[in-house]
Amino acid sequence: MVHHIKLKVNGREYEILVNAHELLADVLRDRLGLMGTKVGCGAGECGSCTVMMNGKPVNGCLVLGVQADGKEIETIEGVAHGTELHPLQKNFIKHGAIQCGFCTPGLIMTTKSMIEENPDLSEEDIREGIIGHICRCTGYQKIVEAVAATAKEIREKGREGA
Amino acid sequence: MTGYKTIGKSTPFIDAAEKVTGRAVYTTDMKFPNMLYGKILRSTIPHGRIVGIDTSEAEKLPGVEAVITAKDTPLIKFGIFHEDWYILAHEKVRFAGDEVAAVAAINEDIAGEALKLIKVHYEELPAVFDPKEAAQPDAVDINGVKNNIASKFHVERGNVDQAFEESHLIIEKDFYTTQVYQAYMETMAAVVKPEDNGRLTFYLPIQIPSKTRVTYAKALGMKIEDIHVIQPTTGGGFGAKMETVLHLIAAVLAQKTGKPVRIINTREEDFEGGNPRVPMHFHVKMGFSKEGMIKAKDLVLYAGAGGRACYGVPVLGTACFRHDQLYKYENVRANGYLVYTNMVPSGCFRGFGNSQGTFCIECIMDEAAEKLGIDPADIRLRNAVYPGFVSCHGWVINSCLLQECITKAVEAAQWQEKRKEKKSGRGIGLACCNHVSGYSAFFPPFHGSAAVIRMNMDGKFLVMSGEIEIGQGQKTAFAMMAAEALDVPLENVRMAPIDTDYIPFGLGCWASRSTALGGKAIQNAAEDLKGKILQFVSQEYGIAVEQLSIANGVVVNTQGEEITDLSEIGRKYLYKTNGSYLYGQGYVDPGTVVPDMATKMGNPSITYPFACHIAEVDVDVETGVVKVIDYVAAHDVGKVINPMGAEGQIEGGVAMGIGWALTENMVYQNGVLKNSHFLDYRLPGSKDVPDMKSIFLESNDPNTGFGSKGLGEPAINPVVPAIANAIHDAVGIRLTELPFTPDKVLKAIQEKKKNKEGEPCRNF
Repeated sequence: MVHHIKLKVNGREYEILVNAHELLADVLRDRLGLMGTKVGCGAGECGSCTVMMNGKPVNGCLVLGVQADGKEIETIEGVAHGTELHPLQKNFIKHGAIQCGFCTPGLIMTTKSMIEENPDLSEEDIREGIIGHICRCTGYQKIVEAVAATAKEIREKGREGA
Repeated sequence: MTGYKTIGKSTPFIDAAEKVTGRAVYTTDMKFPNMLYGKILRSTIPHGRIVGIDTSEAEKLPGVEAVITAKDTPLIKFGIFHEDWYILAHEKVRFAGDEVAAVAAINEDIAGEALKLIKVHYEELPAVFDPKEAAQPDAVDINGVKNNIASKFHVERGNVDQAFEESHLIIEKDFYTTQVYQAYMETMAAVVKPEDNGRLTFYLPIQIPSKTRVTYAKALGMKIEDIHVIQPTTGGGFGAKMETVLHLIAAVLAQKTGKPVRIINTREEDFEGGNPRVPMHFHVKMGFSKEGMIKAKDLVLYAGAGGRACYGVPVLGTACFRHDQLYKYENVRANGYLVYTNMVPSGCFRGFGNSQGTFCIECIMDEAAEKLGIDPADIRLRNAVYPGFVSCHGWVINSCLLQECITKAVEAAQWQEKRKEKKSGRGIGLACCNHVSGYSAFFPPFHGSAAVIRMNMDGKFLVMSGEIEIGQGQKTAFAMMAAEALDVPLENVRMAPIDTDYIPFGLGCWASRSTALGGKAIQNAAEDLKGKILQFVSQEYGIAVEQLSIANGVVVNTQGEEITDLSEIGRKYLYKTNGSYLYGQGYVDPGTVVPDMATKMGNPSITYPFACHIAEVDVDVETGVVKVIDYVAAHDVGKVINPMGAEGQIEGGVAMGIGWALTENMVYQNGVLKNSHFLDYRLPGSKDVPDMKSIFLESNDPNTGFGSKGLGEPAINPVVPAIANAIHDAVGIRLTELPFTPDKVLKAIQEKKKNKEGEPCRNF
């Protein structure tokens, strides 16, 4: 069964045909060519395919493409502003939070939503917040450091603004 | 050592920006025009004769372009150490997950449907899963070899029996290490593209793009040079991403259809048909003097090869005797048996058998220290090898800071203080390890490394190495080493993509070899290129070559005055030589001695890394849950190239060790894997791993790339025994079977209450 869906991805409107069983992660990758969303397990157990749907992080492998009809999606490709990286991306690079990089896009999406919701994050909050993600390379320490550094920058910026 | 401009400074990875933006292209992201999607039909039973396969219905399904079984493959027996592989199961299946047939179709859905239409008729055979049981004379025959023994390893030095008689204390125990899964985040995959000239181009997430061509050429009946391998960005490996039939199945489908074929393992398939750690059963006996000096060691090992032999062959020997270079052994004996079982073929996993062996030895060292009333750190200091030591197997310990690793770790972990303060359920444990940086017996023709550096017309540099990035930061370390050796800024160095048509034949990422060996080759290539650049400048500017050098990317004279910029030289050279680039070449011959097949005497690695780890744990005596709360890792890394990258190796290695110690285990029922998902195969999460402290000790090895040593594997080797020893310190139990799950912890605590000494408990 083929469905006609409309969705907005990284600010751009798309009208596409998808099969009923097609997953959002596959729609993004195979229909829209947005290969930055990685599929690590296909069962919602690793977090690699995390994208934002209407501002909330979701596993792209647990949402059907048809469920994204009328929704706004943000993927890793939409995080940087042109060539200017998001502060979180800069800190992931700076703090060595990236090794093989396969889990990175999903982690960026989740931690970006955490910081946007509340930049007042303790180490414990960060560890709790990324519990749904598996990173096999880093041991998480440098990811936690990168997120903490970004949250701090954003808190300080907020204070300057106020 | 001081005076370095690039190495030794924490440097962000040069490929991190493309990864953090989602631009990096992995094999699993690749598509080509007309590409077909392949899928593999896997055996559902652990052992059986294939009576018949009916593919006719699958072939009729619209969109299916090829269905293959063993008869469509060259049917050449091949393998890595033993030639007991076929591309697809021939006559028999030997494990649940064995590759029986494959299809290529216009999309994945149709390929999946087609698999369901293939009918395989099996005559089931009895199956055997435990290596010791499989080695019994009455066990079912798996591969036509006596007692299912795939290979044996025997070594004996000194007079072991007499040394036991002279021992003051003897400890004798069994240890069981589990089959665990590497769980790299990108599953195994391949895209294979047939070329018009009969060549095949393989796009593979692989640790050994050059070396694998030798095996694949044999399997496909092709020439090595016709196997062209390109390695896209690779999502981890940890030892698993070596030769695999998945790549060859894609190749046969590509040949048959004349189209590019992509196969990606699902996570379940990757669990079932991957290349997990070799499971082992050890019986170890060690004798000690009153002063804690090791008098003798006797080790018997049964290791499970799975249905066909993979890297289990050298893993067996490694588990038997690599750790003999950690302490000053004189009297040792090891008898190891790699046994075929009806399990998934097992192979390399970070640590490569040494982590299994280290678990046993380091637990016994801890127990001996306790029984002799010696501090566990002290017993190791007394036995530790030292610079200049030659082991009983002939290994020459050139540079070595093992003793310093122990003292620094003890200091950083507040070892003495914490051992004294006896908080309920809290304990601290220590373990050491040694390892190699390359191993000469794996590819006997050579085991060094080679590199080529090209000066581009803008005076910047392109480094070609056959050694591999799989996420560990290798490319960055290499670029830093090239920049340092050339004395140019890091941003003027690029690493060439891995394409076997252009790069040197690199043996790849295993045995913690790349930085020490690949780095030395790059250093040598840089020296060669520097000489050629200065020769050219000398001719062009009429200045004696001895008066020229490169500093910070410009050519200067002895007064330090700039003669010319390299961008000028790059362009001039290219124009003058009608488009030629200036190349520097270099290689390193590590001068090692391949261990003799019979005597096992040799000196297999260019250098030997060492480490000491200290773990602190909390054991909940009500629930049996163990939590690692603090961790210190001190490593003799020779020379730190990129401190941030080196810390990443340690933090990742320790996390992996924590998973192996506490939660990870592949659980089988009648040979069928029951936990092929991350939900029930529990990897460490962000709350299971403590913040840890990494300490680097620099022994500056004289023979390797800038004095560096391997780190990837030493980072995991001591983790399990450090945790085991910490659990003992916390609650007085000695666990000898992995993983240390709450049920085992509780049972051992109860046993301890009943007896004085807790008997180790098994639950399989």
